[in-house]
Amino acid sequence: MVIRSLVSVVDDDDSVRESLPDLLMEFGFAVQAFASAEEFLASDCVGRTRCLILDIAMPGMSGPDLQRELTRRGHEIPIVFITAHADEGVRPRVLELGAVACLFKPFSATALLEALNVALRVT
Amino acid sequence: MMDIARRAAHPHVVEPRRERTASENDLTVRLTHAEEALRARELDFQSIVESIPALVAVLTPTGQVEALNQPVLDYFGKSFEELTRWANSDAVHPDDLAHVIESRQKALESGEPYEGESRHRRADGVYRWFHVRGFPLKDTDGRILRWCFLLADIDDRKRAEAQLAGEKRLLEMVASSCALTDVLTALCKFVEDTSADCHCGVYLIDWNGPKFRIGAVPSLPRTFNDPCEGLTVSLEVGPCGVAALTKTQVIVTDFESDPLFQSCAIRPLSLAHGFRSQWSTPIFARDGHVMGTFAIFQASPASPTQVQQDLITQVTHIASIAIERALSEAALKRSEAFLAEAQHLSRIGSFAWRVATNEITWSEELYRIFEFEPHVRVTVELVLARVHPEDLALVHDMIERATSSASDFQYEHRLLMPDHSIKYLHQTAHGTRNADGELEYIGAVQDVTQRRLAEEALGKARSELAHVARVTTLGVLTASIAHEVNQPLSGIITNASTCLRMLAADPPNVEGACETARRTIRDGHRASEVITRLRALFGKKNATSEVVDLTDATREVIALLLSGLQKDRVILRAELTDDLPPVTGDRVQLQQVVLNLIMNAADSMRGVDDRPRQLVIRTERDGDDHVRLTVRDAGVGFDPHVVERLFEAFYTTKSGGMGIGLSVSRSIIESHQGRLWAASNDGPGATFSFSLPSRHAIRGLSVTDAERNAS
Repeated sequence: MVIRSLVSVVDDDDSVRESLPDLLMEFGFAVQAFASAEEFLASDCVGRTRCLILDIAMPGMSGPDLQRELTRRGHEIPIVFITAHADEGVRPRVLELGAVACLFKPFSATALLEALNVALRVT
Repeated sequence: MMDIARRAAHPHVVEPRRERTASENDLTVRLTHAEEALRARELDFQSIVESIPALVAVLTPTGQVEALNQPVLDYFGKSFEELTRWANSDAVHPDDLAHVIESRQKALESGEPYEGESRHRRADGVYRWFHVRGFPLKDTDGRILRWCFLLADIDDRKRAEAQLAGEKRLLEMVASSCALTDVLTALCKFVEDTSADCHCGVYLIDWNGPKFRIGAVPSLPRTFNDPCEGLTVSLEVGPCGVAALTKTQVIVTDFESDPLFQSCAIRPLSLAHGFRSQWSTPIFARDGHVMGTFAIFQASPASPTQVQQDLITQVTHIASIAIERALSEAALKRSEAFLAEAQHLSRIGSFAWRVATNEITWSEELYRIFEFEPHVRVTVELVLARVHPEDLALVHDMIERATSSASDFQYEHRLLMPDHSIKYLHQTAHGTRNADGELEYIGAVQDVTQRRLAEEALGKARSELAHVARVTTLGVLTASIAHEVNQPLSGIITNASTCLRMLAADPPNVEGACETARRTIRDGHRASEVITRLRALFGKKNATSEVVDLTDATREVIALLLSGLQKDRVILRAELTDDLPPVTGDRVQLQQVVLNLIMNAADSMRGVDDRPRQLVIRTERDGDDHVRLTVRDAGVGFDPHVVERLFEAFYTTKSGGMGIGLSVSRSIIESHQGRLWAASNDGPGATFSFSLPSRHAIRGLSVTDAERNAS
């Protein structure tokens, strides 16, 4: 049995949580979706997640907040940020903090796959 | 009352008659007796005349001196023989002699009594004024037997009259605002004329120093005056210094012998000019401080007689009035100059208007503001001619109200100047009744043209700023719209990608593809809905104006949100007032603000689990003419320091709602002439409120029925 790499999706937007897991499964990953950073941290997926697809702007703990929290806890999970705010300033900031990629919604399947490949190569 | 009654009861009681005491009357009586005696028998005139204690001369009908009594001989200090040749001696003052001879001759020829005033030389050489009367003594046939001349010394009266006239002249000079130097010069000359052989000086004191300044020294030489100018007021300087500092009169009878002034500064100068005596008298102001000194210099050692002292007292008093008046006039002129300058700087003119006589007093600056020629007589008609035609009715109304009763008012109107420029004036007037009960106004007029123009410029800048803010808001909106649309677009693209992959698989996953395709369609609709909602919010170029019942509008919003709020476990308490006065505005926009506030409140309580997520919505009256909506939550609240930042675009971290932010809500409320604000609660959470003017409070913004029906 092939053990699929677990990709976790954290986004407060319903349609992303519905659509993205299906695509990721088509890519051949195992997927877990969470509506908030807190929910993800509370789950048992943190240690198993090979790549985290993370929304930047969320109520409560934001994407970058979660990134810092994971670093603090010693989890070096490659992160691909996604955001609906097409703010060019945000990309270099999160990349500097160690993110693998930062995709602006809506992004193509190809762009997502490339980012995932980079992320998984990192590990 | 008792006295009057008693007196009335005794009508025969009369006032005692006053005694006739005039010596002339006495003489007349005695002469009448003499006349009778003469008629009765021949009488020795010499013995009668001797018995009279006054100056009496008896002449023959042709005017020859027949008899003189002892007082005459004593006064003139001449023998009878010398006096018989009086017309060729110095007995009569040379200036009076011709007139005396002529008048006497006329009397002798006509037989009419003689009467005249003339100066006669006393034994010591002093001429004194006399009132001279001559009576013809006649027999029963009317023939003149003798002439009897009486000489009454009136010199003191004459002197007093001359002094009084001199003082009167000086006071007239003071009253008619003659220059101080002229008054003081006349004053010195007057004393020099009245009291022979003296020189006078008035020295003013400038207490900043303190220094003497020469006020007037008409008969003193420059060689004496120049060293005196600017001398320090000190005890060492001389009599004037001592008089000024001790506030007492200083009499130096003789500089040669006076032990007190042997070493004073002025002594050598005085002696060099031949002045042996100096009398210095301080000139006091009404408040008692010394303004200067009055000095009399004489060549021979002397101390003042009582007459001279009286004269000094009088002239120092006049000098005091003159100096004080000159000082206060100078101060008045200075303060008038200050006032004029202040009026000019502040562009404020003042006026006084006596309504009954239409007498108008106009300040210099007001002439400038109205651009009237200086000294033109200002009339109501002249003023009205300057008033802007559109403001004439206003000004007429003001004048009408002003003339009917004393009142205070202020108003603004414009002037149309001859060059067609416009001035804006702000007028304030205070009405009073003067002592005669006449209506008087005192007012100030400020030229506020520059302020007005600045205000207009500011208004323009403000609207430009508002435009910039609107553009900025559009930028914020664009970002919000992008965010709102990007979310469903992201879903669409992801779902479509998934769908393609499922179809491309071998075997194709048709069921999964159908599911993702359905989701694609759903997200498409969702994107479309976002656009529709955004259009509802911002699509209209102009907000519509309609009558809005805020409570009704709020109820609709609550109905839309209720299920969502319940899902979020928000406990909603609506405290809505049913009979609120309506507001005028765009119903949809206002509802969006209400929705935004409720959604914010709900979002702020999303993480709250230790207390009820209570949300209170209240509508109520706010004062007489406003209505207010309040949304109170028990959420995370905000740092009071950032309360204003809440209203900045993008400050929100909220992602679930429309994301238009409080900044847009505020601009909507403000475009309705309302106010939106936030406050921290005493307990947890925050309260957001807005207040809108009710429909009746907004004049000129009310909507006609036709417009309402059309919208």
